[in-house]
This record gives sequence, structure tokens and C-alpha cells, in this order.
Amino acid sequence: MFASRPGLSGGIRLSGEALPRPPLAIRQMSYAPLLSLPLGRPGGARLLPVVREGAELRRGDLLARAADGCAPALHAPATGSVLRIGEQADANGGRVAVIQFAPFPGGTQEYPAAPGLDVEASEAAQIVAAIGAAGICGSATEELHAHLWQALERPASMLLLNGIEADPPSRRQAAVLHSQAVELRLGLRFLLKALGARRALLAVEEGDAAAAVLLSAEGESLPLSVHSLPPRYPQGHPSLLPRALAASFPDVASLAELAGAPCLELATVAEIGLLLASGRKLTDQVVALAGPALREPGHYRVPLGTPLRFALTEAGLDADVAGVVHGGLMRGEALATLDTPIAPGMTAFVALRAGDLPAQPPPLPCIRCGDCIEACPAQLHPAQLGLLAGKAEWRAMQEQFHLDRCIECGCCAHVCPSRIPLVQAFRVAKAALGRLPARSLEPLA
Amino acid sequence: MTLRLSSAPHLHAGRSVSWRMLQMVIALLPVTVFAVAAFGLAALATLLTAIVACLLAARLGRRSGEVQAEEASALPTGLLLGLSLPPALPLWMVALGGVVAMLLGRALFGGLGGQVFPPALVGRIVLQAAFPLAMTQAWLEPFAAGRATALPASSLALPLMAPAGGYPIADGAASLAASRLDGGGLPLGDLWLGQVVGATGETSALLLLLGALYLAWVRAIDWRIPCSLLGTVALLHLLLHGLDPARHPGALAALGSGGLMLGACFLATDPSSSPMTRRGAWLHGALIGGLVVLLRQFGGEPEGVLYAILLGCALVPHIDRWTCPRPLMPSGRAHP
Repeated sequence: MFASRPGLSGGIRLSGEALPRPPLAIRQMSYAPLLSLPLGRPGGARLLPVVREGAELRRGDLLARAADGCAPALHAPATGSVLRIGEQADANGGRVAVIQFAPFPGGTQEYPAAPGLDVEASEAAQIVAAIGAAGICGSATEELHAHLWQALERPASMLLLNGIEADPPSRRQAAVLHSQAVELRLGLRFLLKALGARRALLAVEEGDAAAAVLLSAEGESLPLSVHSLPPRYPQGHPSLLPRALAASFPDVASLAELAGAPCLELATVAEIGLLLASGRKLTDQVVALAGPALREPGHYRVPLGTPLRFALTEAGLDADVAGVVHGGLMRGEALATLDTPIAPGMTAFVALRAGDLPAQPPPLPCIRCGDCIEACPAQLHPAQLGLLAGKAEWRAMQEQFHLDRCIECGCCAHVCPSRIPLVQAFRVAKAALGRLPARSLEPLA
Repeated sequence: MTLRLSSAPHLHAGRSVSWRMLQMVIALLPVTVFAVAAFGLAALATLLTAIVACLLAARLGRRSGEVQAEEASALPTGLLLGLSLPPALPLWMVALGGVVAMLLGRALFGGLGGQVFPPALVGRIVLQAAFPLAMTQAWLEPFAAGRATALPASSLALPLMAPAGGYPIADGAASLAASRLDGGGLPLGDLWLGQVVGATGETSALLLLLGALYLAWVRAIDWRIPCSLLGTVALLHLLLHGLDPARHPGALAALGSGGLMLGACFLATDPSSSPMTRRGAWLHGALIGGLVVLLRQFGGEPEGVLYAILLGCALVPHIDRWTCPRPLMPSGRAHP
């Protein structure tokens, strides 16, 4: 009774009615008249432009490359011309360096022919270099390139494929699973070779199990096993997925083995398969546009740098939109402006009407019900942390109650009957402790 | 177009403090209806007085910004207090109990969420200490004739005055002790269905259990507390009854008698004065259960449940410290 169990404790079940999910089909979005491409990468790497203003480029031509190190390169998202290289306001009110790019109206947008990579004939290092050169970043929590470079030194024993959406209502992973099976199989073979892994585990939610099983059954045999988990938020978070899998399938792999394996999203794997085999560069990405303020919510293949306002308008944005959240409804940030480009890694937006946003009554005092403790998947003590935050006891929050292990999943604030803004308080505390970006991403065991 | 800024999460489970309080009242409805049926006008007057007193006291002791939640929580507190009092208790004592519960039990400890003991329990215990005679003699026989038309004289006694006609059951302590402790040879059916002398809402253990099952089902209380509390009592009584059947009643009689069911299901589960963790809840219930048996079977008072819960709640800060959840650490790093 007093020992910690291996299973995923905590988490919440989100009801479907409260959360309309966008349809799974992936549609192509048209080109905005002006695309803005930020010269920065998630994680802080800077890019240096290699083109001049006025240059005419074909789709996929190099625009900018890493100033130092190995950050993925940036390519022209369309056939068009470089309009301006300068600064622009970003979503958070700051300013970022961007390349403004104007696609040629009426251009065919065909890719120039390029030699693709053959899985069998290529070396691991070649594949890793090609992934970076293609401009593939992966999502913010994935640490794709760190995993790849590490595996060149020390091969990974297995690869964990994440088919579970990190934050609802987006269903990007499921959308990719249902419509990009060929690319997924290709990407998986590239990644197994690059990482030196002998097998791959695919975690999906129960509803997607059938599509996932087809993935391994069709065509050539892959060292892939599919494991479906009942829906439970936030088991798709990379720090919790190993634990959720180890609890449900103890005979497949040990928790230590799972926690040590690179964990990559299906959308990233499909991107790798698509681009490496055809020799193309990253020019667009699958973005989930969801929410009741959209007439045509869905998953769209959006050219990089498309202004958010343009993308939402294409998806049928209602005039009575009251808020737009970047990310999902549990972890995402409400945006102050729609005049921000969709950069690599920005993969989900939710547009809400006034009635869809939860009422925010003034918080009541904690009634010590303990619901937050039961909901916390990291097994922290949110109530105590909240009380300490109210008294600005930042150091005690970290030293006695392990604030840095909080993954900001929002479960505690979701269930709090007193509506205490716990996650917000924890972010303030982390900022005060000088460790704002230090989200805990290491797998928790 | 203006965009509203808000902080994640943008979804809420929808259960508020007021919702919890409402569930409490719903769970107590069956036993309330039964109490009014069994004790008539006397029960109705007791319950209404307790509720009104608590609501007024909540209004007096509230802090700004918590009006609605404070008043929502006064309703179940008043109901619980009324249900735990003898039905023919002078109404001015009932009102005093309500005021004490909300002001001494709650407002002085910081209002909503601050109480160290369940407020209804505080009111009940102060009355028990202040008016021992009334609290042991103001009982009524259930389903007595004329209960629906007349109030017992003792209910309407003037403040600080002895009731004109005395209390209904002069040998209350004796008959109560008999009916409560060894079951007095009472059939188990009578005990569980409420055909006995007892506090307004404590007589029907079955209906109380039903209410608690509802609360556990909608997850408005932690089911582990009544489970472990009642389980401990049952286990100890099985043991004691086996050793000395003449002195100690069996498990079913012990569970069905006195204030145990009300206390275990509705007082010991008060979120603010019970532990926050699952492990703490098990421990809390077991501790109170052990104290109940100790005080009832070996103590001098006829009923020990109230004091057992009081002592159990006093230990909660320690239980919370012992059972503080241990966070998950990245694999390969040891727990702190």
C-alpha cells in the first residue's frame, strides 16, 4: 500500500461531448499572399539567411541555415520571391527576425526533381544529416535531433512511436496514422536505421488500434508492435508514456528500457518518410485547426510561414470568435494576436466562441479535498504547492515539493472545485526560481 | 475582434465547491424525510432551526468574495447538526449549536476550507458539554401518536429556562445507553431501519448508508474513509464479541447503533478536516474506528463517535505529513 506503483497514477478522463474533435482527413491549404518565416528554431538556435531580398527561389530552395551547430535548415515554402528580411511582431508581443516571402500567384508549386535517399543503401550518419538538411524539427517536446545525435554514439535499443495526442482536441497523430501509412512505414525504416534500434513500439489510443495494426501488417514486415491504451489525459506526454506502457504491457519491455528509448511522434515519422525518400525539403506541415468557432475544422497541410489569421479564415473562422489557443485546451496558450506566422512546431490551434471559454470566477480558498493530488500524474502535491505559491515560498516549493517535476499538464486546475489557477501559480514560481523553460521532459519512472 | 486571454487549462471538470455541498444535501434527503416521518413536528422544527441558525451565522462570519460558497456550505452543516441532535431538544439550544458550529467551528478557523474539525461536530459537542441533561433526556419514541400535530413542550422551552413539563424521557440516559450499546436486545432490523430511540437523523443506519453510497458514487466524498472506519469497527467488534459476547455487541449491532453511521459517512469525510491523500484516508478511517470502539466499549460516556472523530481530525495534519505523495523522478535517479 505504501510502495509506489509502476502504473500511471493520476490523469483525467476527458469527456468527448465537451471536446469536439476535428475530422481526420488531411486537406491542403492554399498559399497566403505573404509568408513570414521566423529565423529562429524552438530551443533558441538562430538561423542565418543565405538569400538576398528580391531573390527568386523555387519551392524547397535553401533560405537560411544554422548560424552554429546543427539546427535544421529553413527552405522556401513555395516558388516565389524573397520580399524582405527584417523584424516582425510575434505572438507574445516581442519581435522576431523573419524572412518575408511572396509565393508567385498562379505558380504550379511543383517540387524540382531531387534524388531521394534509399534506406538500404544509406548509413545512419547520412540519414541523420539528411533529416537536419530537410529542415525537420520535430515537436517542441520531442528532442528529435538530440536523440539522433546521441544514437550515433550509442545506438538505442528500441524506438517508441507516440500515436497519442499530447493535448486535446487535436488529433494530428491519428490523422497521420489514417492517411499516411506509406510515409510512416518509410519513416520508421529510416529511423530504425538512424537510431540503430532493433524494434519499435507504437502506442495508440484504443480507437486507432485498427489503423495502427494495418501499419505493421501491410507490405514488408517491420519490427513493429502496436499497443493500444484506453484514453486518459496526459498519457501521451513523452515523460509519462513509458510509464503508461510499462503498466499495461509489463511483458513487452521494462520501464527502464522504455524510459531510455527515444520517443517520437507519428507526425514526425511520417514527415521523415515523405521528405527523405523523395529528396524534398520541409515546406509545409500538418496543423490541426479545431474548435467551435471554425466552420470547417480539420487537419490541414499548411505552408510554413502562413499567417495564422489566413489559416483560420480558410478554415471558416466565425466573426464571433472570442479566443484562440495555440496548442490544446489543457496546456495551450491563449494568443493575443492572430497576426503571427505558423512556424515549424506550431501544430495545433483551437478557436473558441465566448461561451466555450470556461467561466473564470474568482478563486475560493482551498477546501483540501485532495482531488488535485489524485489527478496529478507526476505524483506531486498541487494543493500544498498552491498554498506555498500564495505565500511566495518559491524555494520551499522546489526543495520540499519538487516543483521542477511538474509537467504543467493542467490536471490539478482542471479538477479544482475552488478554481484555483494552480498551473499559472506554478509557472510564476518557476519563473521566479529562474527556471522557466525547464519543463520536465525526462521520462518519469 | 478582441481576443480573450486566459491561462491553461481551458477546460474545467465543472465541479464547484457549491456542487459538493449540494450533493451532501441530496445524500441527506432520504434520512431527513425519514426523520420527519418518525419524529414529526419536533424533527422538522429541530432541522429548520439548525439550518436557519447556520445560514444566519454564515452570513455573519463570511469573508467578502466567498458569499455563495459560504452559504452553500452552511446548508449541509445545519442539516447535519440538526440530524445529530435529540429531536425534542429546546429549539434555542439548537440555534445556539448552529451559531457555535459556524462561528467557532468555522469562521474563527479561517472560513471556507479552514476548519480543523467538522463544524457540525463542534456545535454538537459544545451542546453536549453545556447541556448534558437536555442532551440525554430530550429524546422521543419513534412513530409516537400525535407527532404530526403537536410539538413536545421541551422544544419550546424559553432560553436558559428548564422546560415546564420536563423532558420527554426522564430516564433517557438509561434507555439510550441500553438501546445503543448492547443493542438492548433490540432486533437488528429495528436498529438498521430506525425503529429505535435516537437522534433526529441517526436512527436509520440503512438510509444513511444509502446516502453515503450516493456520495461515493458521484465522488463527492472519499469512499475510503467510511470504508476503513466502518471496517475497523466491524473487525474489532467481531473480535470483542467473540471474546465476551455478554459485554460487547456483534459487528452488525455496533455498526447500526448510535451516531456511528452519520459520523462515519458525513462527518469524518468532511474534506477540509480529513486527510488529502488516499493513504491518509485509509489511515484516518482506521484511527477513528479504533477510537470509536475504545471509547464506546471501555469509556464512561454512552456514545464515543463524536469524540473519536474529534481526536481523529486533530491528527490530520500529521497524517497529511506522513502520507505526502512522493513525486515520480526521472528514471535512474533515486527518490528523495
